[in-house]
Order: sequence, then structure tokens, then C-alpha cells
Amino acid sequence: MRDNAGSSGWRLNALARRAFLLLPVAFMVVFLLLPLVIMVVVSFWKRAMLKMVPAFIFTNYTDFLSGTRLTVLGRSFAVATEATVIGLLIAYPIAFYLARHAKPATTRLVLLLFTVPFLVNYIIRAFAWTYLLGRTGPINSGLTGAGLMSGPVDWLLYSDFAVLVGMISSYMPFMIFPLWMSIAGIDRRLSEASWMLGAPPWTTFWRVTLPLSMPGVFAAIIFSFVGCFGESAVPVILGGVGYQLIGNEITSTLDVLNYPLAAAMSSVVTAAMLALLAIWYLAFDLRSFLGKILAWRMA
Amino acid sequence: MRDSHRQTWLIWAAITTVLVLLYLPLVPPLFFSLAPDGPADGTATLRWYVEMWQNPLLTGAVVTSLEDALIVAVVTPLLALGAAMAIRELKIPRLILVLVLLPLFVPGVSMGLATAFFFRLLDVPPSLLTIAIVQIVWALPFATLVVLTAMSTFDPIYIEAAHMSGANRWRAFRDIELPLIWPGVSGAATFSLILSFNETIRTSLVQGPLNTVQTYIWSTYKQIGLSPTLYALMTLLILLTMLLIAYTVVSGRRAARA
Repeated sequence: MRDNAGSSGWRLNALARRAFLLLPVAFMVVFLLLPLVIMVVVSFWKRAMLKMVPAFIFTNYTDFLSGTRLTVLGRSFAVATEATVIGLLIAYPIAFYLARHAKPATTRLVLLLFTVPFLVNYIIRAFAWTYLLGRTGPINSGLTGAGLMSGPVDWLLYSDFAVLVGMISSYMPFMIFPLWMSIAGIDRRLSEASWMLGAPPWTTFWRVTLPLSMPGVFAAIIFSFVGCFGESAVPVILGGVGYQLIGNEITSTLDVLNYPLAAAMSSVVTAAMLALLAIWYLAFDLRSFLGKILAWRMA
Repeated sequence: MRDSHRQTWLIWAAITTVLVLLYLPLVPPLFFSLAPDGPADGTATLRWYVEMWQNPLLTGAVVTSLEDALIVAVVTPLLALGAAMAIRELKIPRLILVLVLLPLFVPGVSMGLATAFFFRLLDVPPSLLTIAIVQIVWALPFATLVVLTAMSTFDPIYIEAAHMSGANRWRAFRDIELPLIWPGVSGAATFSLILSFNETIRTSLVQGPLNTVQTYIWSTYKQIGLSPTLYALMTLLILLTMLLIAYTVVSGRRAARA
């Protein structure tokens, strides 16, 4: 190592640098991992009047996994899966086109256009959808005005359809980024080799490009699925009265101050998501997905 | 050839449709915020934008939002810079990356709830600090990705050159690397600011008696429903977000030209 100031000043510098690098790690451990552990601990506690009391009981889990709440869990799973699959079907072709066929300047512009709606709070956008999909909204007036429908379509709003629209428009824009990154990171020569060996475009896509883009696909799926599965505002705004998904079931359990039960539900949801993350971590080399960003390797 | 033209045309039509559908929800709030009291008669009014400043609850929320956004926008890029350097230099880059990206994989409600329990068991009362901590955790993955992207665009050979010319690690960092990745750090700051202004669910679980503009909108909606004032607030937040994004783009472009 070439450091000419081999004094205590340098050692202090090195120490400060070390601390600077480890601070974010410590921050995440203290303010995210530790709270998650505490939440799991609380999920075994007892509820006593308006307080929670340390204990080790499974009542919260049996309460949760029996009766109507299990149905809610199932519905959340179904809705999140649908929103994720549809989101992927929209995002993948766009990401593929941008990575393979568009000019760099065009790609940058389109990616930027997708960040704007992603960054505007999805709750605000969900409010806007209640108008757009409503009985007097532009879609219904358009349909009746064009003579396609004799009266307003009721299932547009306060329905599974509306919830799906809200969720896809909340989480789909972000799916494009990991997909684009992983497709752009694939060595083009592999597709060319496949073409030279006589494979038609579709075969090349199925056997070469798609498998190589799986780290991005899986990242996009997890991101969307996590968001949709735990979503607590969209079902309230667009699902209508009584539309329960696990996310707003958790918040309404909090409203009645049953904290241990909320902790139990939240723990199950988080554990399921972290299991997905673990699969992703073990199955894929992150460098292949973040290849563009992690390109350098310092000597 | 004509076939590929048609394909290009089709894919652009599809991309445009998706974008139009995504931007459509940004319009109604503006429209409703200009509506006068009573039946719509085609006139527009700015009275909701003026009157809302007389509501102390709301002005309090605006102040909280600004203070909190300031903390988040200063602290998050620093942590992101540290995280990006740690990913590059420490022996366990994958583990650190996953730890930093973890907030993307924890549902918002769960994250808010877990942090709320944490503060409660430590007897930390809800405050600006608890709000800022939750939002920093939420913004850090995005900020780190922005810094990592900036880092990947310059050639590490510059740093080696600095070392070879006798600079120690700190000098090499301060004089060579930091100026090169500064656009990334400031981009991370703007990004954190945007995420802070647009966060609701996590914040609402740790805010206690405080309110940010977003949680004010959310709780007012749940208690009494939407109103022109809320739409005016939404419009302002949408405009602010767009302005900040435009700022990032313009300053990024200027940095690229320099």
C-alpha cells in the first residue's frame, strides 16, 4: 500500500473511513432487521385490554390462520399474482425493446418517463382512478357516448378490476428497470451465435435471452409481488367498502388496537417475502443482474 | 423490412398507450382543485390554494414535511455513498447489497409496524426523528442504486493514477473520486427528497400526533373523504415531484457536459 503519511493521522483516517463504510450497514441492522425481529417477538405476545403483554402463545397465529382472515390471505395472494403477471407481460416487452432496439438517448428518455408516475405517490394516483373509473368518469361517459354501452359499467370501480388497475399502475413502472438492466447486460454475441447456428428468433428468445434475463425477471416479480401483497391503501380506495386484503386487514387490526395479532399477520407476510428474496439471492448472481452498475472490480 | 417497420410502429403505439394510462391519473387532481364550490359551471377558482394556508393542522403538516425531507435528503445520500463504497471495497459485497436493498422487499405496512414496535419498546416517543429514520430506511436502496450507477460510469484508473502520483486514499477520494461521483450523490439527494415527499404508509405508523402532507391527505380522506383542498394539495405534490425530477435531469445533463 502506498501511503506516505504512515502516522497515527493516517490510522485515524483509515478508522474514519471504515466507520463511514460500516455506518449504512449498522443503520439497516438497527432500524430494519432489529425491528423486524421485535415484530416477530411481539407476534407471540398476549393482548391485555389496550396493551400488549410479553408471553409465548400461538393464539395470534391460530386466530389469523383460521376463519375469514385466511380467505383474505388467499385473496391477497391471488390479486398480487395477477397484478404481477400482467405487470410483467407489459413491462418485459418494453424493457426488451429499449435494451435491444432503441437508441440510447431514446431509452434514457422513455425510462425517465416511466419514473415520473412511479415517483408520484401511488395513493394520489389511486384517488384519481376512482374518478376515472367511476360511473360519471370519462371512461364510462366515453363508452356510453360512443354507444358501446347503454348505461355506465359498474364493475369498473370498487371491484377486483379497479384494485388490479391501481396495483399495476403503482408497481409496474418500477418493474421495467431491473428487466431493462438484466436484458441490456446480456452479451449480444450469444443471440448472434444462436442466430448463426440457425435458430429462428423465437427459439433464440426462449432458449437464450429469456433464461439469461431471469435475474431481472425475478427481481421485478419480487418487487411487484411484495408491493401488491402487502398493499394497504389501494384496496381501501379502489376496492370499496369491505374489500379486504391482508395489508388493510393489518391496518384495521391496528385500529382496534390488537397489536400482537397485527404483528402476527405482518410477520407471516414479511416471512413469505423474505423467503422469495432468499431464493433470488441463492439462485442468481447479483452481479449478472446489476452487471452494468457493478462493472468495476477494484484491484 | 416492411414487417419490422410495422413491428416498430406497434411497439411504440403500445409504449405510448401504457405511458398515457400512467400519466392520466396525474390530471384529475388539478381539475378538481380548480373547481368552485357548488355545481360545476365551467369556471375555475384558486380559492382552495389560498384558503388551505389558514388551516393550522395543514400548515403544521407542511412544516413537518419540509423539516423531515431536509433531514432525509442530507442523511440518505451520505449513507448511500458509504454503502456503495462498502459494496465495492469490503469482502462481502453481495451481503451488503442485499441488506441495503432489503427495504424494497419488505411490505410498507410491515416495515412501518416493525419500526413502530421498535420505538415503542425503546420508549422513543414518535417525533420528527422517528419519521425521518423510517423514510431514510425506505429511501436508502434507491439512493444507493443511484450512487452505484454514478460510480460505474468512471474509470477506476483515475484513482490508481492518483495513488501512483503519491496521493493517499483520502486525498484520492476527496480530490479525484468525489468530484467524479458528485452528480450521483446529489442525484441521490433529490431522489431521497422525492421519496420522502411521497411516502404515506410507513410514515403514518410512526408519526404519532405529527402529520406530513401525505399522511394529512390520507387521514383526512379516511375520516371525512376527499375535498377540493385535498386535491389542491395533491396537485402541489405532483408539481413538486415533477419539478424535482426535472431538476435532477437538467443538473445531470449539465454535469455530463462539464
